[in-house]
Amino acid sequence: MFGRDYLGEFEHIVVLALLRLEDRAYGVTVRQEILRRTHREVSIGAVYATLDRLETKGYVKSRHGDPTPERGGRSKRFFRVTAKGVAAVNRTQRALQSMTEGLDLIGSYS
Amino acid sequence: MTPQADFVQPPRIAVWLVTLFTPAKEAESLPGDLLEEFSHLASKSGVAFARSWYWRQTVKTIAHLAGSGFRAAPWSTVAAVVGGLLLIRFGLMFYGQAMDAVLDRYRVYEYLSDLGRQQPSLNVAAAYLFWITRGMLIGRVLVETLVGGIVAAAAKGREMTATVALGLFMSALGVAGCLMMVARTGDYEFLFRWALPAVFADSIAIVVGGAIVRTRRSAAATRPSAA
Repeated sequence: MFGRDYLGEFEHIVVLALLRLEDRAYGVTVRQEILRRTHREVSIGAVYATLDRLETKGYVKSRHGDPTPERGGRSKRFFRVTAKGVAAVNRTQRALQSMTEGLDLIGSYS
Repeated sequence: MTPQADFVQPPRIAVWLVTLFTPAKEAESLPGDLLEEFSHLASKSGVAFARSWYWRQTVKTIAHLAGSGFRAAPWSTVAAVVGGLLLIRFGLMFYGQAMDAVLDRYRVYEYLSDLGRQQPSLNVAAAYLFWITRGMLIGRVLVETLVGGIVAAAAKGREMTATVALGLFMSALGVAGCLMMVARTGDYEFLFRWALPAVFADSIAIVVGGAIVRTRRSAAATRPSAA
């Protein structure tokens, strides 16, 4: 239903990485941003599979950059979050905050 | 500037495998990202580390791309698997009939019997059996490679997802059949020497058929831009 879509856990992380990277977001930087902030070594295939799914849902858009020699003459694919994607992040964040509100996660469950 | 020959290259087989499974719209960006990180790692941590990293990324990336390809179009993948199973069934049936016809037409058993009379040391029955079993095995592999190619040709854009799914399904069926046979006969030697290798050869042949079609399509797609 419209306005009820929440992001999956990894989708959420990828969209937040795109928002942090702004116009520098492509496969390598997204993977490294996730590694730097979450210490999670993800595969480039996982990043692209998620970005493709997000693009199909209309949460991100992509464009191709110019080919560069250090990439064997292959171009980069840059991603950016759409307004619909930002709305989905906000919705997911609110849902998570609402679910965790009042819980003493560190004291009670650690 | 560093000459092109000085660039350290990632493992060729890994690059080829990634290219096989990468969808057309990521044909440039995904291998390019891997190469960029590989070059960076090779200069920072050494070539051996970078190569092992590239292989790890390849295995994980292939698993993700195959999985996402299946999730993106589950029903057409299932249809490709069912169609492939039917083609294999009819293909093997046709091949068996053709082989019987050839054996009858050229009177292979009589020929071997004549040979046996001339050379009494020749075990005619064993020679006949050897000819038939090897012939059937080779035929199976050819039929399955062909079916893999047909399934890949039908599943345009998801060639490897469809053929890997069919190969995995064939393996699962084959292993189940082998286990049932062993439960009845207890013949472990036949299982490990013949049955299981034949099952995995079947699946590999299907995936090879898919890889051939995929490689040809990728080459055709990149040809105009390379010119």
